[in-house]
Amino acid sequence: MAELLFELKEVYFSYLGKFPALCGVDLSIEAGSRVGVIGANGTGKSTLLTLLDALVFPDRGSIKVMGRELTESVFNDSVFTRTFRKRVGFVFQNPEVQLFCPTVKEDIIFGPLQLGVPLMEVRKRLEKTSAALKISHLLERSPHQLSIGEKRKAAIASVLAIEPEVLLLDEPTAGLDPQTTRDIMDILIAENESGKTIITATHDLHIIEEIAGIVHVFGEGRRIIRSAPPAELLSDQEFLQKHNLAHIHRHKHGNVVHVHPHVHLEHHGQEKESHG
Amino acid sequence: MSALSFLKDSVFSDEYAGCRGFLQARDTRFKVAIIFLLLLAVLFSKNIYFLILLYMLCLFLAMFSKISLGFFLKRTWIFIPLFSFFIALPALLDIFSPGRPVLSFNLAGITLRITQQGIAGAVFFFVRVLTSVSLAALLVLTTRHYALLKALRIFRVPQIFVMTMGMCYRYVYLFIEIIENTYLAIKSRVGFVHSVKKGQMIVAVNIAGLWQRSYILHDRVYSAMLSRGYCGEPKAIDEFNSDFKDWISLTAAILLFSAGLLWQSCCLS
Repeated sequence: MAELLFELKEVYFSYLGKFPALCGVDLSIEAGSRVGVIGANGTGKSTLLTLLDALVFPDRGSIKVMGRELTESVFNDSVFTRTFRKRVGFVFQNPEVQLFCPTVKEDIIFGPLQLGVPLMEVRKRLEKTSAALKISHLLERSPHQLSIGEKRKAAIASVLAIEPEVLLLDEPTAGLDPQTTRDIMDILIAENESGKTIITATHDLHIIEEIAGIVHVFGEGRRIIRSAPPAELLSDQEFLQKHNLAHIHRHKHGNVVHVHPHVHLEHHGQEKESHG
Repeated sequence: MSALSFLKDSVFSDEYAGCRGFLQARDTRFKVAIIFLLLLAVLFSKNIYFLILLYMLCLFLAMFSKISLGFFLKRTWIFIPLFSFFIALPALLDIFSPGRPVLSFNLAGITLRITQQGIAGAVFFFVRVLTSVSLAALLVLTTRHYALLKALRIFRVPQIFVMTMGMCYRYVYLFIEIIENTYLAIKSRVGFVHSVKKGQMIVAVNIAGLWQRSYILHDRVYSAMLSRGYCGEPKAIDEFNSDFKDWISLTAAILLFSAGLLWQSCCLS
């Protein structure tokens, strides 16, 4: 049985003590797994990732990481803080937040330097991650000179350079063109195959089958309302539509306009039949 | 809008810093030291010919650094030197610089004379400002801004200050873009604002909105820093590459500075 990485029990969290963001979340995540978190806007996906990265702490309930409970006080221990930050990396939804240094290069080396990685190793990681993400030519550029796709790649590189065991990703493919989405997906899949745990919050149902072995759906009550393998979830159109998650496509075949929910490759046979 | 565009062009343009010219190839620490020495030479010099020599050197450096002369002259002659020229204008008159009159005229019944000493003083002041501005422009145009910030470390400026300045540089651009887009959005919905009061209200609302955004952003950026292991003491690599050409350039600057001082003392004696 795989090691239990995160264990959340009855987690409640609210902003400023009055705007509830999570209301009783129970969740277990195993090491090396691929986890998807989906849900309509404002259902608590990003807050969950922020809690898993120990940037905020629950009002009630408990979060255990590798057997140790996450509270503000455990981060007074600098050894634990450093170990935790080395093991857990978080790619923020907004790359403008993630890329705070004057150049891409400085952003990539920021994490390893703060975490005490030796200089030689920092340089190696810079070379390795920038080559893997195909951004070596952007290292001396300022983040404001990059396109959104390049910014996202740079943001991912800045976290991969830490070489964390767990990758938390908040909408990693939002607003990207298909090719950049594909590039990022390939990198994430490769990271998972190398043993890393990938936890992705997304709206993008196109990618969920690839980056998740299990999907947790957040409902309007800001708690998990269903956990299932992606194939099972994507085939339940009624459930997806009910929770604002279905992609409704409208397209033309000759003069006939079709409106139907998002379908996947295995359904294309049926689609062809229905069009015929 | 045009003021914002000017700010973006002048502060964030890396066009010349990215060229492969003489000054661009110099190690930033050496370049800062060289320019600093030359500025000191300008400051201490009381000889107009030496100042003109230094200004000619600026023009040569601009040419060898692949900076278009037209652009360089426009950048260095507008604003500060022109302002200094207007500031120096009164010094032409015998009220401030008594001496041999060259030209006299009547203004509101008062006879004013431009003196030879006045002209010499004003020209000297103007050339000094022009040379100083040219040297500063050379440094800024041929160096990427973040490298310039990093070079502050040679003056023992604390890392936290350098990092904060770097972040300011990074986010000012973002905020300029937000302001630009806000004004475009206003323009697209209501067209140009004709009433001054309405304009003032829009500016006030924008300032408040921007403050709020920067506050939220500050919170999130700090979270992003914490998430990557920041614990109050920033660490960075000071990577500079110097070669023998940097040493030669620095030696030349020291010689020039010394020559200026020597010239000065010879003239005085």
